[in-house]
Amino acid sequence: MALYPSNAWCDEWKNALNNDPAVEKTGKNWGVDFNGNFIFELQPGDGLDQTTYVYLEAAAGKCSDARLVKDPSEVDAGFYVIGLYANFKPVVKGEKDFIEGVVRGILKLKGDMSKIMRNAKFIRAVANSISSFENEYLGE
Amino acid sequence: MPTIDNFIRPEEWVSSFVTDMGKEIRKWGKERYLPIRREVDEDWRNHKLIEPLLKEVLVDLGLNSAFFPFEVGGADMPDPMAFVNVLGEELARIDAGFAVAALCSTWGLMPIMFKPHRNMELLEEFGPKFCGEELYVGCHAMTEPGGGADIENIGQVKGKTIQTTATLDGDEWVINGAKMWPTNSGKVGDLYTVICTTKLGSTDPDDFALILVPADTKGLKVGSAYQKCGMSADMNTDIWFDNVRVPKRYRFHGPGDDLKYWKRAITIGSMASTAMCVGVMKAVYEIIKDYTTTRVVAGKPLKEHSIVAEMLCDLTMSIESTSAWLWAYTREIDHPEIYGWDPWDERFALKTRGLSIHATNAVERACSRAMDYMGSYGYSREGDIEKFWRDQKVIGLWMGGKGLKTIENARYWYDLKTL
Repeated sequence: MALYPSNAWCDEWKNALNNDPAVEKTGKNWGVDFNGNFIFELQPGDGLDQTTYVYLEAAAGKCSDARLVKDPSEVDAGFYVIGLYANFKPVVKGEKDFIEGVVRGILKLKGDMSKIMRNAKFIRAVANSISSFENEYLGE
Repeated sequence: MPTIDNFIRPEEWVSSFVTDMGKEIRKWGKERYLPIRREVDEDWRNHKLIEPLLKEVLVDLGLNSAFFPFEVGGADMPDPMAFVNVLGEELARIDAGFAVAALCSTWGLMPIMFKPHRNMELLEEFGPKFCGEELYVGCHAMTEPGGGADIENIGQVKGKTIQTTATLDGDEWVINGAKMWPTNSGKVGDLYTVICTTKLGSTDPDDFALILVPADTKGLKVGSAYQKCGMSADMNTDIWFDNVRVPKRYRFHGPGDDLKYWKRAITIGSMASTAMCVGVMKAVYEIIKDYTTTRVVAGKPLKEHSIVAEMLCDLTMSIESTSAWLWAYTREIDHPEIYGWDPWDERFALKTRGLSIHATNAVERACSRAMDYMGSYGYSREGDIEKFWRDQKVIGLWMGGKGLKTIENARYWYDLKTL
């Protein structure tokens, strides 16, 4: 079991994404003619002691890179999601829906909103893939 | 100096996602729509310019998919009224006719769209079309040639005058009758939500039926676009149903529940109309602010004259009061867990009629008074006020008009028995 968040967890997520037919099918247009990469900014609390950035590179239904980065300016992401670690954790556990978190403002999203609206199925598949493997969590 | 973004909008009730979607619409409007708005106004007959613009908003910006469940490709947007308000305002600020065309695409489906009254079988069949890559537009066919506001006046007329009939024949509904005026009729609509009666002359709620009819169904014919005072981006035509056959499953819910959940669509219609009025008034605010700042009369800007300042104040009071009222009701309908009544409650439909009257009176006054102070410049096409002045009038006329709205609102507050 990988610890969320860690590079080992990112590897697990990348593996899950690349072996998920739903991600491949629904994401065939994602990131093709736009930057579909994500930065997730996990803010401290609930066991996380410092702001942590998870980078996800996704295009055409495949994930080419997933890792922690020290500084978001190291990478080029079209979408930036900010939230408390305590609010990301239920999404990773599969208890909360990612898009609902975004549209309710619990998780803040910067980027082209219409791309999220138009690709809700893909985003949901990506979120579902997070909860498809066992994790350990800080503070638990 | 304050801008349109300083008018009332409770930040804590609107997610940053919805706010940002509103900004996307504003940016799109500035780049894609405003440069050709006057040409769009001449495109009422064929919609050659309007159709691709509708695709950009409904498909590319994702408005069509907002309320469909995730399972069928939608965004399953929570707090639907807040979303409609923000986007309705932004779209109406660009063009009220375009706003109604865009918002009405999924309006007729509201009775099957939301929990706990979703019809997943129908959403699975039609949702992917609305959420797909091609333009697919809905139309809520309600008004009839002989009925006028009678159909909307369900509280008193109780569906008695509905002349469009739906007769069950085996596993199919056979629909006969005619509708007129619905937004997105004619060549625009791909899927009609048709208000029918299963028993001519009946006042039994069980006989009120909402049935889906794809536009290419045999026996369905449409007329050509009406030439109207304004609202060019909203195509309205006659529709005829001549032994139109659709599967039995195309009825929304069945006896009683079709009418029950349709009331949610009426409430949403009244509130979306209000959001459009606010959007138009914000456009008027921008135009008149610019005009009265740059136009110099008797040695000082027009706005520095006391009589003009009174009009400017009157306009902003209208925007603030309408917005505040709209957001208060929005909170009520989006959060029944706080306010204790269901979004389809008839009392809510009656209550929001008052809001709609207030908004349509306010927007009519705003456009007219702004034009008074712009003089002939306001009356000419290049002043842009005249477009909003022509467009806004019908917002007060649709969904039963001011007369029915007034009676219904009084019925709610005073428990009227005979009206």
